[in-house]
Amino acid sequence: MLSRLRELLSWCLVLLLAGLGFWWAGRSREPRSEPGRTEITWYMIITPLRGLYEEQVAAFERAHPGIKVRICWVPGGEFNVKLKTLAAAHQLPDLFFTGDVWLSYLLPFTRDLTPYVQRDAAEIGLEDYFPAIRRAMQLEGRYYILPEYLNLSLLYYNRRMLAAAGQPEPTADWTWADLVRAGQALTQPGRGGRPDTWGCARVEGWWGEWLIYVRQAGGQVFTPDGRRCLLDAPAAVAGLRFYLEKSSRYRISAPAGFEPLNGFVNQRVAMVLGGHTNYWLNYNQMPALDWDVQLLPAGPAGRSGGELAIAGYSISRTSRHPEETWQLVKYLTRPEAIAAVVRHGHLSVRRSVADAVLQAPGPRANPRNLAAAYRQFEFGEPIPHHANYIELMFQVVQPEVDRMLLGELTPEEAGRRAAAAVNAFLATFDPRAG
Amino acid sequence: MHRRPPLATVCLYAVLGVGACVMLAPLAWMLLTSLKTYPEILRHPPAWLPADPQWGNYHRVLAGFAYYRFFLNSVFVAVMVIAGTVLTCCPAAYAFAYYDVRHKELIFGALLSTLMLPAQVTVIPLFKAFAAIHWVNTYLPLIVPAWLGGNVFGIFLLRQFFRTIPRSFIEAARLDGASEWAILWRLVVPMSRPAVLTVVVFTFLWSWNDLFNPLVYLQNEELVTLPVGLLYFIARAEQLTGGSIGQVPWHLVMTLATVMVAPVIVLFAVVQRRFVEGVAATGVKG
Amino acid sequence: MNLRRAESRWFWCFAGPALVGFGAFNLWPMLYSLGLSFCRYEVVAPPQFIGWQNYAYLFGHDPSFWPSVRVTLVFTAVQVPLALGAALALALLLHQPVRGRGFWRAVYFLPSILPQAVFAVVFSFIFQADGGLLNQGLALAGIQGAAWTTSPTWALPVLILVSLWGFGYPMVIFLGGLQNVPRELYEAAHMDGAGAWARFRHITLPLISPVIFFNGVMGVIGALKVFDLAYAFSLAQGQMTPGGPARATLFYGLNLYQQAFGYFHMGLASALAWLLFAFILLLTVINFRLSRRWVHYGD
Repeated sequence: MLSRLRELLSWCLVLLLAGLGFWWAGRSREPRSEPGRTEITWYMIITPLRGLYEEQVAAFERAHPGIKVRICWVPGGEFNVKLKTLAAAHQLPDLFFTGDVWLSYLLPFTRDLTPYVQRDAAEIGLEDYFPAIRRAMQLEGRYYILPEYLNLSLLYYNRRMLAAAGQPEPTADWTWADLVRAGQALTQPGRGGRPDTWGCARVEGWWGEWLIYVRQAGGQVFTPDGRRCLLDAPAAVAGLRFYLEKSSRYRISAPAGFEPLNGFVNQRVAMVLGGHTNYWLNYNQMPALDWDVQLLPAGPAGRSGGELAIAGYSISRTSRHPEETWQLVKYLTRPEAIAAVVRHGHLSVRRSVADAVLQAPGPRANPRNLAAAYRQFEFGEPIPHHANYIELMFQVVQPEVDRMLLGELTPEEAGRRAAAAVNAFLATFDPRAG
Repeated sequence: MHRRPPLATVCLYAVLGVGACVMLAPLAWMLLTSLKTYPEILRHPPAWLPADPQWGNYHRVLAGFAYYRFFLNSVFVAVMVIAGTVLTCCPAAYAFAYYDVRHKELIFGALLSTLMLPAQVTVIPLFKAFAAIHWVNTYLPLIVPAWLGGNVFGIFLLRQFFRTIPRSFIEAARLDGASEWAILWRLVVPMSRPAVLTVVVFTFLWSWNDLFNPLVYLQNEELVTLPVGLLYFIARAEQLTGGSIGQVPWHLVMTLATVMVAPVIVLFAVVQRRFVEGVAATGVKG
Repeated sequence: MNLRRAESRWFWCFAGPALVGFGAFNLWPMLYSLGLSFCRYEVVAPPQFIGWQNYAYLFGHDPSFWPSVRVTLVFTAVQVPLALGAALALALLLHQPVRGRGFWRAVYFLPSILPQAVFAVVFSFIFQADGGLLNQGLALAGIQGAAWTTSPTWALPVLILVSLWGFGYPMVIFLGGLQNVPRELYEAAHMDGAGAWARFRHITLPLISPVIFFNGVMGVIGALKVFDLAYAFSLAQGQMTPGGPARATLFYGLNLYQQAFGYFHMGLASALAWLLFAFILLLTVINFRLSRRWVHYGD
């Protein structure tokens, strides 16, 4: 009898604990709404500058007592998954961080900001954005994003390695031929028959580097509407060929697959084409690395063709407080806010901020040739803004480029196969097309 | 058994020893990497040993983000999931092992077939449903499925084990007037401890390492579990190394992986004998 | 009759919660995704019925479908026998009278419970073409190593090798099976003068055939669904998109994930999922049919 009772009691305890657990698990974590204040939700990628944003939001709330901002931090790699899942469930935040590369994907639930931009053009200082940035901001003449960050392709070089090889530093009038010449002088044979240091890095697995050459040779991957692939045109093929021949003919880059790990920071690769401006902080962490930047060398059809990508803020189409959210967007992209970001080693999307940095006296951290980076803006091109771009580049085009690099295809064949595959992809029934 | 020639003995231990080193090499590398500096992990050729072991990495990781908070969240979710799994999978396994109901095998087969479906496609409909009933940003989407027998593999494993218990035991208990509920919890479950423990460990591992569900369902940072916390940390650790995309601070990631894996290894060391017995029991009868 | 009704009442009581859960969290979303596989569904707009076109597209036009099928089948065909062979060999070793069996068992099992990401990172250090541990070792022997992880020839074999670290589960299940083989049988065979191989071939193998079968079925299911390892491996190598180079490691599960969460083609991803589901189901049924010829159940 006693044991019966004890058993009953223990089951009661289990139930009680489970009940407590469920209560804790299901407790609402939504902040209580405050009467008289509008709450806006902001999805932001976690960045090293997180503290800065939290300060900005606090300052914004002091300036706008009627608005409360809730920041949801999301790790970068999962950001798009999270956003689309929320979109599917009609749970989108008012404000989200995004880049122009992703924008065409997110377009169905992104608010057209053109009326706000036009209304407040003077206040936001539309003229203050670099012309190249203004071009990247627009999608068929409409504004969907206000930028805060940018990335652009540059020529990076190791000053110590160049000096050791007796090479002058790259100048603004370099061409591909200069790159090859310096690269060959910098490629040093090592043990085991394979060079120990390479003149030039090669970016594999995505379009980061080869797209520069295709464009600088006068080619394009897609027509402007994104409905046809142009990689089989002779100019584009010439760009692909240069990408391949950097190792197969000129031997200034490692053969496919043998790119040294972290070659530039380890001083085993003297130059990088393209790169990413976010790496600057890394580079400056390596005490022995003395590096600088220069304009991209010009190809047969000119210097233009490096990537120019922006990232910033968009408002969701379903936001119930677009006006308040717009206030926050303006606050986050005003010159003072951009200047704060730039102080942490980023490039500026605004001319006024860039000028202030360039004119500031005193020694500057690397890159010393910051002016070249801002000059490169003129030669940057935005990524095509059509919805299939990323998918086509990764799923269809890149595998053919990979095979070219591995020696399975000639540049002509790679260009022809990629173009044929993309065009077949776009012409046949495509369950993905809108 | 038969005596082994000494040479064979030496060979046996040599093979086992070399194999063990190979098996544990990744773990050793993880520990060594966790004690290196940032320039060391980038160095070429890679340095085997850290020149000066950076125990400070551990301090930095534990202080630099809310490890204990994420740890407790993980423990809470794991405990609730394990409790639900045991309390609902045991009866279900018992039902499938001992009762004779029409179409039982068919139902069981349908249940098992869910093991074969890739999980990615059920996420969107489930998320929509959970959002509709306002369960997003609570732990309920992570826990409630476990309280409804969500661990199909667990049911399968328990059923396999239960079936090895002679039916006569159960018949005898029934003749003694024991209720079905009592037979389950006072006879069958105690006799199947290794299997139950195995289910507990599997459930724990699954819940502890699950990245996707917490990531999708939890929004407030103070709610997330360790693997998601790891992602948050990697994103923020770039601050510590000055890095950004592409330049992952592997030394700190490995530090964090170590503190994440440590509880698992301790748990495994404690329960390994019974756990192995339990796993061994799964495959005995197809 | 009464007993039967009571039994059935208890059955529904005991299995009820699990069946409700099955319906709510598995069956319903499964059927939902079956429906989606006949729709164009890009998440942002409501699903739109398009009949069999997703399936037709996969079989006829999709450039990544067939490569992913090939990679996955090759992986399964090579990895499952290797993993089972290694697991069985080790189980046989550990079944010998060895000192510290629990210790060895734990050591060999331990990697199976660790997160795959750790393996991915560690092995990408080892197999790195330029300066990786393996190629440094080979260089000492005067051999020029290959670009293991970035060559289409070697990337898949390397992944197969790495996946072998997870053979702990089948090994332990084999051990359980071996423990159930009555010792007297070996004694008797030994008396009859049967050699070690003959004893293995005629006693051990038939008696553990159910275990081999179970491990085989689970191994095939696991190999066909492989995702974590490939995904973590490509991330550890800093690949921009998983599955490279030239689709050499584009596993079916990886392709499915990309379609679902990389590009949000949920309709297409559902079709992919159901094709895989149907294939696994078919294979499992065939396995069960074939098993009648070679699997010996004791009873």
